[in-house]
Amino acid sequence: MKANLLHLRKNSRFRLFIGIVTALFFYKIFLIKNESLVTSFIGELLILCTIITLTFYLTEIIRSRKINPLSVVLNIGILNAVLFFIITFSGDLLSGLFGNIEAKLNRPGLFFSIILFAYVLFVIVSVSYIFLSFRELFYFKQKRNVSVYFNTMVVFFVLASLTTILDSNADLSFISNTFLIVSIILVSINSIRISWIAFIIKKEKISLLILSVIISALFIVNLVNSNDANSHTKLLSAYSPALSKFLQIILIYGAVYFSVLFFTTLFHIPTAEAFDRKAQEVSSLQFFSKLITRVLDFSELGETVADLAIRICNAHSAWVIWNDGGELKTLSYKNIGYVDAELITNFFLSTKRKGDINSTVTLNLAKIENRESLNEKYNQASVSPLKTHNEIKGYLITLKKDDQIFDEEDKNALDTFADYASVAFENSRLLEESIEKERMERELDVAREIQRKILPSQNPYYKGILISSVFIPAFEVGGDYYDFFNISQNKMGFVIADVSGKGISAAFIMAEMKGVFESLSHTISSPKNILVKANHILKNSLDKKSFISAAYGVIDLDDGVLTLARAGHCPVLLIRNGNVERLRPSGIGLGLDFTANFEMQLDEIKIELNENDLLILYTDGITEAKNSEMEDFGENHFEKILIENADHDLDIISNKVIKEITLFSTNNSQHDDISLVILKWKKQFIKNESGSLPGLNKMEKKNVGI
Amino acid sequence: MSEFSTMVSDKGDVSIIYLKGYLDAHTAPALENTFASLIDKGRYSTVVNFKDLAYISSAGLGVFMAFIEKMRENKGDIKLTNMTDKVYNIFDLLGFPLLYEIFKTEDEALTKFNEIKKSEK
Repeated sequence: MKANLLHLRKNSRFRLFIGIVTALFFYKIFLIKNESLVTSFIGELLILCTIITLTFYLTEIIRSRKINPLSVVLNIGILNAVLFFIITFSGDLLSGLFGNIEAKLNRPGLFFSIILFAYVLFVIVSVSYIFLSFRELFYFKQKRNVSVYFNTMVVFFVLASLTTILDSNADLSFISNTFLIVSIILVSINSIRISWIAFIIKKEKISLLILSVIISALFIVNLVNSNDANSHTKLLSAYSPALSKFLQIILIYGAVYFSVLFFTTLFHIPTAEAFDRKAQEVSSLQFFSKLITRVLDFSELGETVADLAIRICNAHSAWVIWNDGGELKTLSYKNIGYVDAELITNFFLSTKRKGDINSTVTLNLAKIENRESLNEKYNQASVSPLKTHNEIKGYLITLKKDDQIFDEEDKNALDTFADYASVAFENSRLLEESIEKERMERELDVAREIQRKILPSQNPYYKGILISSVFIPAFEVGGDYYDFFNISQNKMGFVIADVSGKGISAAFIMAEMKGVFESLSHTISSPKNILVKANHILKNSLDKKSFISAAYGVIDLDDGVLTLARAGHCPVLLIRNGNVERLRPSGIGLGLDFTANFEMQLDEIKIELNENDLLILYTDGITEAKNSEMEDFGENHFEKILIENADHDLDIISNKVIKEITLFSTNNSQHDDISLVILKWKKQFIKNESGSLPGLNKMEKKNVGI
Repeated sequence: MSEFSTMVSDKGDVSIIYLKGYLDAHTAPALENTFASLIDKGRYSTVVNFKDLAYISSAGLGVFMAFIEKMRENKGDIKLTNMTDKVYNIFDLLGFPLLYEIFKTEDEALTKFNEIKKSEK
């Protein structure tokens, strides 16, 4: 839409231009004979309008292209050269065609008029284009708004041009001359504003130097030519004195501008290289700081760092070595073979300066041992430390060939760059770390989820037994497991176990264990035999380093007899009449011994429960909970709380235990899962019909943060 | 927190490993390395002195399980000595005394190794 509008506007400008040109054409052909001041003034106005509409039209075309000062200069040069040929040879050419020009001017035929008109039109186009080019150059990279300077100059150009029609009266010629002089002064002032020259690179400056000499010479030649009384001047001034003047002014502008340009460029050349490098440096650093936030891959970052290091100090090759857990690794090579890089790296590492360089240092490679084995004869290397938190994490090494050396400026640039690079490397490392951490945390989430699903979601109800259980997972998931089994009408089984190891592997073993005990509890009645069988089954899934401590018991709901076997687990505590008895039949942990010895060492005990007896099942997460002094919570502490609260509801007892552990281990993290199961033998207790328990707050397994 | 170190001293054919600090999942690899390097050297008779060990976790216990087989296959053993009550209690609960020889002092363990050697001759 916008493009279309632009196109339309361009079109309308072109049509306007064509219209004016046509008007000018007819005006000149039919009315030229009338040589009064008014008619010639109207003629000049028409030419002025032509130039104005043309400049509007051309501006659109020029602006639509990307401006490059050098190509603008080149355009001016080419147009100028064409102009030169026309001015020089037009006289001969026209004389050849029409004979005496002066005679012809007085009595022009139609054909002559057309040729003449085309000639003038060409001059108009050339002059307009050159003028516009100057305007582009003038505004290019200009720091302040300087349109007032340029516009004033243009106004004087127009005034100087238009007033030439008064020159026929010798007394009034001072008017146009005054305007001309002011114009020239303004041209000189405006020609000094060539700020764009600073922004082009050295190579371009050199070609600009040559171009400006040629172009300014061309302008001067054209200027001299158009002042001579040759046929070109005669033609043009006869046709339109104002245009002739305008052409002269533009030629003066060109001559002055390009002379100034020549000298400015000349003075810029010695500093061009430094300027180039600064610009290069700045752009590299800008590029790099963007990169820091984008490049996440460590070795990719190494490549980029080496690449940019070369650009920053005009080096030949570069590479990065990085301390990866005490070992120096090379991250990237640029423009250098592996062998050469290793030789130079080792040479640097053998020097004493290795440990304590604070900034970029240079190495004289002439001193390198077996220099002849280097594939290329490098002269000097620079080494920049890559530091984070005042610790050297790696080095950036750059090389220059032949006679080139690293000067102070190179070193400063490399220092700055190395700082950036260190930050980037550190970022990249931290990111890798956090990804690894996140992966671990996700894994732990999975493990926790498995554990949550394996443990009974709520306490079951059995005739004559009250049950309360608490489970608090550790951050790393410890592998605690407990469960209850409805073996038969009058028998319930329970198990508590702790898998060595943590995380997902422990969770998987728990899952398998649940299956094993679930099925064994229904097929084997003796706790001892169940543990022996479980040990046998688990042999395949436990590695050498893993084992499980477990205790398995069966309670006869009719007579309250407990049968218990223990495979390396914490004792089961029996609280009776304010005393604690540690039930600890002999037994080796599951997975520690797969020989017959396991069964031989495993004892099974029978105990008759009394009314209100408490059975406490727990894992070592309770007794080994630690305070900030790394002291254990301890069995005695645990048992004391149990005795003191033995008469309370089961949930109150477990709450009390957890509260005490929490208080004890404030300021210390929880290392291991905590499981606590309390069973109470209460013969009279029978679940009522609705299934709810009077006077007992159902305590579901919940996660209590410690 | 997790500070742990091992020190090995050779007495004849027997290597004595001194443990110090906290042996848990994070420090267990250090002890694993110690055992592995003894096996590399062909030294299968070892005594582990627990005198300065403050704490051992299940992961720490696992280290002994990982190497005992290899030692015994090569007519060596891992004998444990100088445990504090707390550390002994952990070993005891799991039934380790039924699997390993645990002595009060280093000398008792060394004597035991020498007796076996003599009886073999």
